[in-house]
Amino acid sequence: MQDHTELRVIRQRPSGTSRPFLGSSPPLESAAARSLYIHIPFCSHKCHYCDFYSIVDTRDRQSRFTKRLIRELRAIAPNAGGLPLRTLFIGGGTPSLLGLDHWEDLLETLRESFDLQEMRTGVGEFTVECNPDTATPELLGLLRCGYVNRVSMGAQSFHAAHLRTLERHHDPESVPRAIESARAAGIGRQSLDLIYAIPGQTLADLDRDLDSALALGTEHLSAYTLTYEPGTAMTARLSRGEFVRAEEDLEADMFEHVARRLSSAGLIRYEVSNFARPGGECRHNMAYWRQDQWLAAGPSASGHFAGHRWKNVPRLDEYLESDDAGFVAIVEHEPPDARRALGEWLMTGVRLAEGLDLDAGLARADEISPTIRADVCRVIERYASSSHLVRIGARIAPTEDGFLIVDRIARDLLRATDAG
Amino acid sequence: MNIRNFSIIAHIDHGKSTLADRLLQATNAVSAREAREQLLDSMDLERERGITIKASAVTVMHRHKPGATSDELETDYEAPVDEAGTHKTKNAADKADSHGDLYMLNFIDTPGHVDFTYEVSRALKACEGALLVVDSTQGVQAQTVVNAYLAINENLTIIPVINKIDLPSAQPDKVAQELEQVLGFPAEECIYVSAKTGQGLPELLATICDKLPAPKPSTMPQARGLIFDAVYDDYRGVIVYIRMFDGSIKVGDKIRMMGLGRTFQITDLGKYTPKPNRVPSLSAGETGYMVAAIRTLADVRVGDTVTLDLHPASEPLEGYQPPRQMVFCDFYPATDEEQRGNSFEELREAIEKLSLNDSAFTFQAVHSEALGFGFRCGFLGLLHMDIVQERLEREGGVQVVQTAPTVSYLVTTRGKGGELVEQEIHNPADLPDAGVIEEIKEPICRVDLILPKDKIGDIMKLCMERRGIYKSQTFVSDSREMLSFHIPLAEIIYDFYDKLKGITSGYGTMDYEIIGYEPDRLVKVDILINGDPVQALALITHKDKSEQRGRQILSKLRGQIPRHQFEIPLQAAIGGKIIARETIKAFRKDVTAKCYGGDVSRKRKLLEKQKEGKKRMKNVGSVNIPQEAFMAVLDTSED
Repeated sequence: MQDHTELRVIRQRPSGTSRPFLGSSPPLESAAARSLYIHIPFCSHKCHYCDFYSIVDTRDRQSRFTKRLIRELRAIAPNAGGLPLRTLFIGGGTPSLLGLDHWEDLLETLRESFDLQEMRTGVGEFTVECNPDTATPELLGLLRCGYVNRVSMGAQSFHAAHLRTLERHHDPESVPRAIESARAAGIGRQSLDLIYAIPGQTLADLDRDLDSALALGTEHLSAYTLTYEPGTAMTARLSRGEFVRAEEDLEADMFEHVARRLSSAGLIRYEVSNFARPGGECRHNMAYWRQDQWLAAGPSASGHFAGHRWKNVPRLDEYLESDDAGFVAIVEHEPPDARRALGEWLMTGVRLAEGLDLDAGLARADEISPTIRADVCRVIERYASSSHLVRIGARIAPTEDGFLIVDRIARDLLRATDAG
Repeated sequence: MNIRNFSIIAHIDHGKSTLADRLLQATNAVSAREAREQLLDSMDLERERGITIKASAVTVMHRHKPGATSDELETDYEAPVDEAGTHKTKNAADKADSHGDLYMLNFIDTPGHVDFTYEVSRALKACEGALLVVDSTQGVQAQTVVNAYLAINENLTIIPVINKIDLPSAQPDKVAQELEQVLGFPAEECIYVSAKTGQGLPELLATICDKLPAPKPSTMPQARGLIFDAVYDDYRGVIVYIRMFDGSIKVGDKIRMMGLGRTFQITDLGKYTPKPNRVPSLSAGETGYMVAAIRTLADVRVGDTVTLDLHPASEPLEGYQPPRQMVFCDFYPATDEEQRGNSFEELREAIEKLSLNDSAFTFQAVHSEALGFGFRCGFLGLLHMDIVQERLEREGGVQVVQTAPTVSYLVTTRGKGGELVEQEIHNPADLPDAGVIEEIKEPICRVDLILPKDKIGDIMKLCMERRGIYKSQTFVSDSREMLSFHIPLAEIIYDFYDKLKGITSGYGTMDYEIIGYEPDRLVKVDILINGDPVQALALITHKDKSEQRGRQILSKLRGQIPRHQFEIPLQAAIGGKIIARETIKAFRKDVTAKCYGGDVSRKRKLLEKQKEGKKRMKNVGSVNIPQEAFMAVLDTSED
């Protein structure tokens, strides 16, 4: 559930301060944001497990939305400091549902307002999320011309009955076609999303899905355990007893099986639910998890810049209406806070195979309070002694067993940052 | 004046309240415009559940020519009398007399469910006759039979009434045959009516006047009145419904309740017509209400006899017993994950307020290690328990957690000196040590079931499984039979009714009456979580079923208690002997797949909430048990 109680703040200007934390003049080079996330909120249908912000059947509003988004992009662009963007990610919703003419306008704006030279040369990463049945050759060609060099395709499953359970309406056959079209268009990097532990799914079913996914030869796979998010249709159906949730033991078996099967095919778990050939990791997501800075545009998009966290207003109407020199209304603003930042760094870092730089972390903890440093140390020692964490040089990282209980480790680390 | 006192009795939904309203209209006590549906039921809850919880009494005037044939009956004659039954002018009186003799009809509404048998029987004691209403589309049902027997036991004259004859699926002749078959009323004596359209109402009114006996004259000069109901009114205190059998009472009299021995001064007497209408006095044969500055229902006992303090009767009217609570459960204030919800004080306030107008349930504060402070409440039966819970939530505005219901047991123990002591317990936790128990007795019910013939085998099996003893089988009609069983109350308080409805696709009906206590091989089963016995989960059950029940509860608990970092043994035990066990495995997986894209705050808040959430479980030893686990034992269905 999103918290809507906070007042909207226009122009990323927290109440009580005169200086906006996102400005219309470029920041110092060192403070520039090198990543950008754009949220396209349209979907042809709300999938039952999904709790990302999206609205159905609003073709009539696409034009207004695109115009507004363009104004927002122009407003926030100076915060990239004129430096080349390293990662750009357009997610949703279903970005591939946006009309071609709107895509043209959007891509042109990005070229004009941001430096995309790293995308052009392939050093940078420009990802667009696609639905297999709306990723047409025309669209993919257009995206390629706009320097898109990576697509993330929502396959979820290749099993028709399981797709129906999820209320996914695409034809499993459309996934290989879409991947082929992306390659044909010259988009060299592809990722597939899979969901497992779907009610009724067996380990053998999952294995078939993994085989089908691996057969497509993508460098990256995301495999998510089905999560019952509050407020989704899936959760309502579960509580009505329309289906039975996968047993915890089966979920755990699947979690382990996915890693084994994919690693034997050369895709390594580099985050709880993400697998890649070496070098094929999603750099944009890594920026999130390493607590880098990024800008955000579009309704419900979350940003992180100069220690601030915020979220754009998650309702399309308010998004369209709010306007302060191009900036939009935001909610859930969190000002800089060393303790919070440390907690978040621990929380997301401990989910990564590369783990955390222990010395850097302890030094940060020590700056806030020696008690926190001691508590964080104690938690890490405890999980290291139970083989859930392992020391690799100067870093501390989760083991395969650690990944299975990483929420617990993260909770304990968060609790440690409460101390002092 | 001709007086007729009668009740309407029926199976639930057979149209009792609609018929009452239609009678009021037919006698012009209520104009069609004024008539609300089910005028006599005053509470929202009664209306919604279609049952009458509290009896009311209404008096109407009716003109009738004794022995008039049906084509002479008048239907649209407006009685030109005021509410006290007197004519406004001499001329009007002469004119009215030409329409027949004046009858005062007092009808007394009864609660519609067997949990309130005691109140029904008090209401029937106030009458000389009863209308037994049967739905012509449903036929005779279990409650029809039980209510008819109550009326027969009171020596009432019964008029069988077959209702809803306007419906296309009505089979009044077939239902009349059923009445003759099951209860022995001649089929040709049944009156066919439609309370909805008014068809047959003149005939019914005529039959009431002609066939029901007039009240017997006073047998003594001293006043004696039967309290057959009492309700609490926020403004006037307790309103007592009374039927005078001997002598009379008037406003200003000092009366004495013979059972309780308390005295009150009458401030108001009246009759509902159905608007409250004051009268100066009530005499033998009449019914009405009495207000006497009585503050709470605890000061009044339904069934008690009212007499005059100055000239008291020497003997009360027969039959007064306090209501007996047979089913018990605990109510605790419900709280959500974040400890928001109602407090114990709010629950106490709601319970005390409800007890002002329902004196039949009892309550006492209890503390449970797992659920905190709450109340142990006693009820007349299952429906009564449901009603109290609903009223607490609806009228009291509190949400409650209800524990598994238990019945009341009579436990005989041998004291230190070898003497036998009998005590009543209604909480398994209170059961004495098995070593000193000589005998445990439990309440037994006579259960009457009316069923489609092809389901008899399945229901027989159900009753046998529930330790039932077969008593009789009666032919009802070509398609239905009535079964009678004696079954321990404890075996029907969970889901017997649901099972019956399931097996018979909703066509079977049941009613029960507690007929006494009988000993059986009953044992207390303790539930141990991680080695610690949990009082709130203990139960008393038959020895032969203890293993099965124990296993059921453990399996429910296994589904409710989250995994911990360690393995948790669940055990059911009798005395020190383990009869069933289950294990909650140590948790294996504690990871959410998604990190919500860039919404890091959300992930952090989610983890923080879980971190707090852990503190809000109920702790038994080192195990956290969610509130719902205590409710899970209510559910006896197999996994």
